[in-house]
Parts: sequence; structure tokens; C-alpha cells
Amino acid sequence: MCTANDGSPVRLKRRPIAESVANLDRLMDLDKGRMSRDLFWDRDIYEQELERIFARCWLFVGHESQIPKAGDYVSTYMGEDNVLIVRQKDGSIKGFLNTCPHRGNKVCFADLGNARQFVCNYHGWAFGIDGGLKGMHASEAYEETGMDKAEHGLHPVAHIDSYRGLIFATLDPQAPTLAEYLGDMRHYLDAIFDMDEGGTEFVGGCVKSVIQCNWKYASENFVGDILHAGWTHDSGAKAMVGGSVAEVHKFPDQSYQVNFNGHGWEFNQDIVGNCATLGEKDLLKYLYVLQPKVAERHDDFRSRMIGAISSCTLFPNTSFLPGQNTFRTWHPRGPGQIELHTWTFVNKNAPQEIKDKWRKGTMMTFSPSGVFEMDDGENWEYSTRSNAGYVTRQQDLYLGLGQNSKLDTDLPGNVYRGQINEANQRAFYQRWLDLMKSESWKKVPQRDIPKMKEAL
Amino acid sequence: MSEPVFVMKKNELEAGKVRKFDLCGNAIAVYNLNGTFYATQDNCTHATASLSEGDIVDDECIACPVHDGTFHIPTGQPMSFPCEHAIRTYKVIDQGDAVMVDFDQEADEAADAI
Repeated sequence: MCTANDGSPVRLKRRPIAESVANLDRLMDLDKGRMSRDLFWDRDIYEQELERIFARCWLFVGHESQIPKAGDYVSTYMGEDNVLIVRQKDGSIKGFLNTCPHRGNKVCFADLGNARQFVCNYHGWAFGIDGGLKGMHASEAYEETGMDKAEHGLHPVAHIDSYRGLIFATLDPQAPTLAEYLGDMRHYLDAIFDMDEGGTEFVGGCVKSVIQCNWKYASENFVGDILHAGWTHDSGAKAMVGGSVAEVHKFPDQSYQVNFNGHGWEFNQDIVGNCATLGEKDLLKYLYVLQPKVAERHDDFRSRMIGAISSCTLFPNTSFLPGQNTFRTWHPRGPGQIELHTWTFVNKNAPQEIKDKWRKGTMMTFSPSGVFEMDDGENWEYSTRSNAGYVTRQQDLYLGLGQNSKLDTDLPGNVYRGQINEANQRAFYQRWLDLMKSESWKKVPQRDIPKMKEAL
Repeated sequence: MSEPVFVMKKNELEAGKVRKFDLCGNAIAVYNLNGTFYATQDNCTHATASLSEGDIVDDECIACPVHDGTFHIPTGQPMSFPCEHAIRTYKVIDQGDAVMVDFDQEADEAADAI
């Protein structure tokens, strides 16, 4: 939609790539399903992730519905970098580091709002919504002694773009386009974010919480781990929504894992399985009525994904659940902590009472007070914390479920038989390793060959 | 008393908008507040800024585009931090479909306020 910062003076410096942590290949042998626990504990690996994953990849930074009008902004994170995402007067979107280029103070303290300008509390440096420095306190002193304001605007992100209402940005000028980065995952994203002609919107605010776990435990869970649900969430499901989690491992021919460039989606074809856990019959009716129309808009296969038992992670740290309609980013805060930001997404054209029920549903299931979030959080915290043990962390972990289950199919992406699988998790970590080993985007191996055309 | 100077036709500035004019050596900001026209100096009295690049807020105030301080348009009085000194106003003379400004007189509202 918009690569907003082209044509502006270069205002985003990047130091040359640092020396890599030695012998990264020792960290995993994915063909055997083996991986090291250092990924979840080592501080040097974490620092390298900030450089080669978070300061390089396209990261989710907001939904277009959050910033409809000129001057509307959200404050969010790219890794540990705080950024402002701002709607411009011409309708385009720009992103900036939330820091004053004068003495470094944060220029905006709100999570979201509408601004005519961002004024630093420290010395009154004032920036337009386009990031340009417009003036400051005691501006005459600067004018008398010479200063080119054009050289001192807010630091822009390298590129910003959006797909089906989801806004992404990258801090790496060398990054591929968003379309290339998402690749064949766009085919499946359309089932959810282009379910009908109105597209989606976020409703309510952002719910935040802190979990003492490594960010990758959360990402790998949503990229492909439905396996845990039948065990971890069984008692919660029985207590809260009146039934067991479906025994999806018994029907491997009716479910799939799909991945591309480290993004992954596990799903079956039951149309409403995830949604059913919210215990709201009206939501099921809404999806059943919509399904044939989605089949017409896209195809029958994708129409059966609209609320099915499923989960998806967009590499590296953004995930969502169709049917339960929670959308979330796992912001890293050191190797042992995440700040989780979650929203509820709905079809813009859905009736208000349907939107309200989804909001209530996400609060009951996937929020700090939601039963499933609690279940997951505790597992991830102890999966992380056990590695404090010096000898414990020298023991390998296993990620070998579903070897040799790749399907030969015309469907876009790499498609695997059975959603009870760890193929997506292995693809996620392969992408992680590729990025961690590569000194630049040009050196990142392109393992996955797109079937979709690049153009949006 | 000097002659009023022609600024523009009324239909050249829609309601809720502000526009800058350079006339007779003065940079002025002309405002259309719901069909009533006002004129003030264009420079902010706090920092270097052109008020006509700001937004009209709270129906009859101009928000400076740099620090977001505000002035009351009809009287020129400062309304919010960091603006502390009033801006000069100019009397707008209504002549049919034309907006005329008298550079020697304050707006009536400003004169009343002082």
C-alpha cells in the first residue's frame, strides 16, 4: 500500500552486522527433531535475535482500523524498539522510532490517540505527524546559530506496508517486499482477513500482559502446536465451555499444517471448531451462514477454515486464532520474558451483537483472565525457567513429530498431512536459523518456492 | 483611518479553514468561523511558526502547528501553554461577498477584550 519513507533523507542508521554467536548449526538437527535449549536461555543468542530477526523481519505494527483518520497513531514495539505508527493527511501510513533525536527522550507516552504533532517533554522539540521537525522551545537560539531542521526529524522505519488491513514494518532497508516476505501465506490469510468484502477490524482496546517465557515458546505454539490443546486445555474446556477439546489426532486425513518462509498455520476443515469453544451459538450460526459465501469468494477448502480448529503464527512473533478471533504479538523482553499485546478482530460487516460476543469470547478464553491463556502461560514459563539449571540446559529437546508427512499438492506453501504435527515448528526454527546465520537479507536462503504471484 | 484592503472572495475559504495572505508587508492568517471571517498575525508569539498551518480547534481557537498552544481567534488572546502573549488581530470589514481587512484596527472583539 505504501512504502512511506522513500524519498526522505536517510534518517535510520544501522551499524555493520555484528559477529555471530559461534557454531549456530550445533543448536539444531531438525531432520532428527533435535534442538538445543540455548535458544530459550542464552543472552548472546537473544541479542543476536534483536539484530537479525527483529531489526530485519517485517513485523506486525497495527491494524488499519486502529488509525482511520489523519493524525491517528498507535505506539507499539518492533522487538524492543518503540515505534509510532501514524496515519498521514494523504491517507498513507508512516512509522517512526519513538525517541527525540535531540537528547533521546520518548516523544509520545500514550498507547494510541490522535495528534497534530508530537512534542518532546524535555526541550520542546516538536515533530509533525510526518515526522518532520517543525520547531522547538527557544527556536530563535537555534536559528541564530544555524541548524537545518530537515536533518533532525524523527527516525523513520525502513519500510511500511499493509496486507488485508494488517500493517507491517521493517527496520531493514534491504528487506524484501512484504508480499515476498508473506509469500504463499497470503493465500490462507485471505480466508480470514478477506472473508467478506468488508475486511476486518479490531474492536475494543489492546489487552497487555507479561509472561515470564521466551518469545519463541509462544510463537512455536501458535505456528503448529494443536497437540497441546487436547491435553493442556482439556480440563479448562470442560469446566468453562462444557466439553472436551476435539480429538483431532484421530483424523489426520482431514487436517493440515501449511508453512512458508517460517510462517505456519495448522488447521482442519470443521468450519467452526475454534469458535465452538466460546460457547456462543450465535457465532456458530454466523459462520455457518457465511461459509458458502466464502466458498464462492475464495474456494471451498479455505471457506472451511474460517472458524476451524486452527492457529497461525506470522514469523517471527505475531499470531492469531481463527474462530476465537484473538490477534496477538509476543514482544520479546530479554530471553526470559515477553510483553503480550492482544486484540479482538472481527469482520467489519458483522452485526454489532456478533462483534460484542467475540469480544466477550476472547476475554473468557485468551486474555490474562481467560482460561486458555492461563494454561499456556504456565507451561511456557516453566519450559523457559527450567533452563536455569546449568546441566538441564545442556540436554536437547525433541521436535520430531510428523517426519515424512509432506503432501504432494497444488495448494500454495509447504503442506503436511495432519495438524497434529511438528512440521511447522521445524520450519519456523529453520527460518530462525537461516536468519541468524545470514549477514544480510541477500544471504538468507530462499527455501520455499512461491506458487502465488508476487504482486498483490 | 486607512483604506480597507481586499483579501479574497468569501467563497474562496470554506468554513472551519484558515489561510495565509501576504498583504502590505504583513503576513496574516484569515479564518472562516462558521461564515464569520477573522484575521490575525500569522506568526506565533511563542516560537517560529505559521499559525495558518495549524488546525482550528474548539470552534474558535487556532492551534499552533509547532507546540499545539492555542489562541482565541476573535480576540487574539493566548488560551493554552506554551502561548502567553496575545497575537495581533485585524478588523475584517464585511463588504458583500468580499473579505476586506483594515490593518490599522484591531478586531472588535479584541478591542472589547482589552
